[in-house]
Amino acid sequence: MKKLDRLFENSARSLAKRTSRRSLLASLGQLLTGAALMPLLPIDRTARAQEPARPSPDEQQCEYWKYCAIDGFLCACCGGTSTSCPPGTQSSPITWIGTCHNPADGRDYIVSYNDCCGKVSCGDCFCDRNEGEKPMYRLSRNNDVNWCMANSESNYHCSVSVILGVAEK
Amino acid sequence: MLQILAAGIASSWAAAPTPPLPAEHLTIATVGPKSPHWIYVVDYAYNNEIDSRVWLFDGDSHRRIGQIDTGFIPGINLSPDGKTTAVATTYFARGGHGTRTDVVEFNDNNTLSKTGEIVIPPKHAHTLATLFTIGYSSDQKFVYVPYLTPAASFGVLDPARKKVLSEIDTAGCTLVYPWGPNHVSSICESGRLLTVSLDAQGKESGRTSSEPFFDVDKDPVFAQAVPLKDGYAFLSFLGEVHEIDFTQPKLAMRTPWSLVSAAEKGTWRPGGVQIGAVHRSLDRLFVPMHKGGEGSHKAGGTEIWVFDLKSHQRIARWPLDTHATGPAVAVQVSQDATPLLFLATEKSHLLILDAQTGKLKHDEPSLGQTPQLLLNP
Repeated sequence: MKKLDRLFENSARSLAKRTSRRSLLASLGQLLTGAALMPLLPIDRTARAQEPARPSPDEQQCEYWKYCAIDGFLCACCGGTSTSCPPGTQSSPITWIGTCHNPADGRDYIVSYNDCCGKVSCGDCFCDRNEGEKPMYRLSRNNDVNWCMANSESNYHCSVSVILGVAEK
Repeated sequence: MLQILAAGIASSWAAAPTPPLPAEHLTIATVGPKSPHWIYVVDYAYNNEIDSRVWLFDGDSHRRIGQIDTGFIPGINLSPDGKTTAVATTYFARGGHGTRTDVVEFNDNNTLSKTGEIVIPPKHAHTLATLFTIGYSSDQKFVYVPYLTPAASFGVLDPARKKVLSEIDTAGCTLVYPWGPNHVSSICESGRLLTVSLDAQGKESGRTSSEPFFDVDKDPVFAQAVPLKDGYAFLSFLGEVHEIDFTQPKLAMRTPWSLVSAAEKGTWRPGGVQIGAVHRSLDRLFVPMHKGGEGSHKAGGTEIWVFDLKSHQRIARWPLDTHATGPAVAVQVSQDATPLLFLATEKSHLLILDAQTGKLKHDEPSLGQTPQLLLNP
């Protein structure tokens, strides 16, 4: 039994020599930072729009810079805008993303393409652009799948393009 | 006098009432004897996706033989014996909305009638048309259906007993590339193929992972592989051809070769949806090619390039009249000795060419809304 006590005492002392309270804090800090950097889980962060949609003419054009990797019907032609789903639809909480260049300010932006779900295809303003788009085995960059797949109403209606932030070079 | 007489006879004939048309009998047309020149044209009907369908079209008489209904964003394939069209699809209880039911439906290609179904978990992969969104084992004992939630897996079904046998997690790898009676591969972001082996009950008995054969960041391959005699060819966005021999216990990667010369690389590219077809006994590969840059991988072909699979030499370039028909987004070839090349175009034409000369034999306009996949036995 004494041998066992000594073994644990030696092990504890050895650990104390090798580490400090600060290192414990540092490790905890790394862990917390790591957790913050982990990809966000797919939850619905949709805000409820306060006003009817009034899309700009640009938002109804496939050539609009934010649509550089969109594949589907533009919601801006279907009762929504480039950032709002049409009335009565649901937004998809899971998405694919693209990196699009805004010629107006010269910056590259990370863009989230959400599908709007729960009604049959809008059928207007079909737009298929594929800058940086990848096949289905890199799902987060793929615009061929129905991103309404996980919604309670998984029918596809149209697609939006929402700026997430400036792309780091 | 004679003239007056003749005029009188003519006028009495004209006045005589013509006999009435006989009564008609309503019938239902039959499919008729099969032909190697039949083609199954999958119309995804983007403008009303809950209503996709397959047209069976005769490449010789240039007529529609009939239609199979295929629901919402389906996976569609023919059985190896050509007798059945299997459809993995989704229906909503109230048309465009309501409870989602996923099902695999079996259609008899002799009658174009539905003969049975298997209800599957409501997660069959809703994605672009490929040959790998449903598939059969070579002995037809199993049917494989990729699932996406977005977690990736696939279901193993028993088409004879109409049962779901198992679901197999593919660790992020996706689609089903069947080989032999009990092997299924899926393609992975790491550039590898994951191959799962099945036991007689359709349960996993083992899995292996290939060496990586492409780099998704530098030059991704199309997930739409081209069936070969002994495996599949994966074409890359820049035109590299990765032929993989599936007959070996361990997948054997052949030395890649290129569709394009050094001068053409990055300028001429394969593109579209169904980006290649092989005539297996002639060893000919047909690829829709276009001029374009990064991001143009879904642009259809303005020309069809023909390659000899043995020498890897390009043996023909066939320009298309894209102004009239739009570029070709899907290609298929019949496997007989006088083969036809079928092309579905962006403007929904079905073009039929002599597959040995490139001569246009028929242009069928308006074959559906968005035909993007062409199937034949």
